[in-house]
Amino acid sequence: MKSGFSLDLARPSRRHWLGYLLLAPAVLLIGLIILYPLIVSVDLSFQNVNLARLDQPRRPFTTANYERLFASPDFWNASWVTFKLVVIVSFFCFLLGLGTALLVNNRFRGRTLARLLVALPWAVPEVIAVVIFAWLFDSSFGLMNWIFIKLGLIDTTVNWFSSPGAAFFVVCVTMIWKGYPFVSIMMLAGLQSIPEDFYNAARVDGANAWQRLVNITIPSLMPVLGVTLVLVMLWVFRDFSIIYVLTGGGPLKATQSLSIMTYEQAFGFFRMGYASAIGVVTLIVCVIASRLMMGRAPDNI
Amino acid sequence: MMRRKLALLAAAAAMALGTNAALAQTKVLKFVSWQKDERGVGDWWASVIKAFEESHPGVKIEWTKVERGAYADTMTTLFAGGTPPDIVHLASFEFQKFADTGWLQPLDPYIKDSKLDLKGWAGQDTCVWKGETVCTMMLYFGYFMAYNDDILKKEGLSVPKTYAEFLAAARKTTKDLNGDGIVDQFGTGHETRGGGGQYLSEMMNYTLDAGGRWTDENGKVTINTPQMIEGLTRWKTVVKDSLTPRDMSAGEVRQLFADGRIAMKFDGPWLWPIIQKGKAKDQIKTAMVPFNPPVGGSSNVLAIPADISNDNKKLVWDFIKIATSDPFQTTYATLGASPPPSPRADITAAKKENPNFDLLVEATKAASNAKVDRIPKGLEIQFNEFSKMIMEEAQRMIIQDLEPKAVAATMQQKAEALQQQ
Repeated sequence: MKSGFSLDLARPSRRHWLGYLLLAPAVLLIGLIILYPLIVSVDLSFQNVNLARLDQPRRPFTTANYERLFASPDFWNASWVTFKLVVIVSFFCFLLGLGTALLVNNRFRGRTLARLLVALPWAVPEVIAVVIFAWLFDSSFGLMNWIFIKLGLIDTTVNWFSSPGAAFFVVCVTMIWKGYPFVSIMMLAGLQSIPEDFYNAARVDGANAWQRLVNITIPSLMPVLGVTLVLVMLWVFRDFSIIYVLTGGGPLKATQSLSIMTYEQAFGFFRMGYASAIGVVTLIVCVIASRLMMGRAPDNI
Repeated sequence: MMRRKLALLAAAAAMALGTNAALAQTKVLKFVSWQKDERGVGDWWASVIKAFEESHPGVKIEWTKVERGAYADTMTTLFAGGTPPDIVHLASFEFQKFADTGWLQPLDPYIKDSKLDLKGWAGQDTCVWKGETVCTMMLYFGYFMAYNDDILKKEGLSVPKTYAEFLAAARKTTKDLNGDGIVDQFGTGHETRGGGGQYLSEMMNYTLDAGGRWTDENGKVTINTPQMIEGLTRWKTVVKDSLTPRDMSAGEVRQLFADGRIAMKFDGPWLWPIIQKGKAKDQIKTAMVPFNPPVGGSSNVLAIPADISNDNKKLVWDFIKIATSDPFQTTYATLGASPPPSPRADITAAKKENPNFDLLVEATKAASNAKVDRIPKGLEIQFNEFSKMIMEEAQRMIIQDLEPKAVAATMQQKAEALQQQ
């Protein structure tokens, strides 16, 4: 007996259906976990909502959240703080990450231990790292003040978290310490994939260490560098816990990044619509920045 | 062999069915609180839960701890997702948003039906939102002063009774003891890092004594007044002159005091259990704060979500009735080491256990009589934003060395703008 509908996956023309079928659960799950909240967030950003509830009727469409956002000095301040963090932290993460990767890529006694030490901050949970740095930079009983006074660099204690500049510095140092091992690991993987023949040929041509670095190592690392840069930038862009636990965005909003501002508006002031608007703008900036970085990568290879 | 296996399977199936049936019969009420593991008050909540479960066979309470730092997020998410906890425990500065959104059940019919007498119940007025009672107040406190007797005696100081005496004592006791250039003993201790709510409470020690209030009885902002300017000047003096350790959370400051690194500390009843575990336990004595009136305020509330079934609402109300009953208000005094909000609670046992209990009661009464609350009238809904704004402007005053008069004017303008939002 012939059924009304049958799916013959064995037929060559329908073989690709099997692929779609197998992918379907994962696609559905991604849709549920990523796309649905994203759609809800975009929708909320166009409503005047304080405490949002999914089962409540939709409020009238409004662009008031975006108008208010772009007119808010707090938003531009948070954008500036985020930009400064992204540039400074990414730059130093790369400098330290590349430096340590080049170091532990050499053959020397204790290399395994050195590699372990380089990667160690990456393994430390963010909150624990923050607690360590909060103690190091404690204004009254911290180690840094004690060291600086003993060395004669300062004659009175620095209030690390009461000074906008000092608080920003502490946040940067913590983020760099936490972020550079990732760059280091990625760079090390990239370095190990560069054929030794390139270096031997360069040596025969009389290239010194600096020339080998600039003409062989860096260009060969470019594909890895591009991806790593995007990942580090996105991490700095969205990182919340380090800033929140260390400074809470203060003092005087000196460390208030876009992610901190989003959280504060949503769960501090219960302005879900406004917070969603900040989130959407942050997302768009991240996508554009990533696209620009990734778009440049093939040219550099 | 086969028969035995079948018998075992049948027994297992019967057991599983039995368990399921038992589970089906057991109703579970969800209770989320930040006080679960807190010594004293956590034990009191456990005793209320036990009493409720004993008096309601087949009903269990699933008690979950959520840290205070993540509490507002968690509760907002639970309510927003349509799955609020059955028993709602909120801080007295955050329930207003929930009530204003219509997420909390009005309790007046329940209070009337069960004839619950809330007359003289400390802080209960705060629970009235838009003319309806939406919660029951679980704690109203007043600040007392704890001081390190050894430190004061070493400097030849007596216990301060006024702001001027306090300032002189704080200056004399702030010291670099080992000569390494770092101050390691402070005259007093305030939280200057963390949330706006606590920062506001710390400032209020000085603003209240100077006669200032954030708003008047009608909710009109009254920050730009000579009294508030004087209060801000005092706060600036204490923080800028580093008479308090800087950039510390409330918990860290309390621990420093308990360990003998701070001479005088103003705080609520929760300080006492911390002192008992500190290194300077035997040197610490207590007195009324040298300010009038003391800082005080409502602390936390119990409520019923509007969205749960009527059966569950009745059960939660039973839970609230047990928590607010005379016997449990009496044990609140002993276990929680705090004056209970109920005027009918018997505090004799608490007085015997805690030598400071009379002082705690006196401080609470003084704050209550002066109608002091951390949450200014007319700014309840905007409290988080208001307290954050006050904290930032006060920090700006200290960091940029601004005149308190100019700062008070800015605060006034910003607070009025918040009210009009």
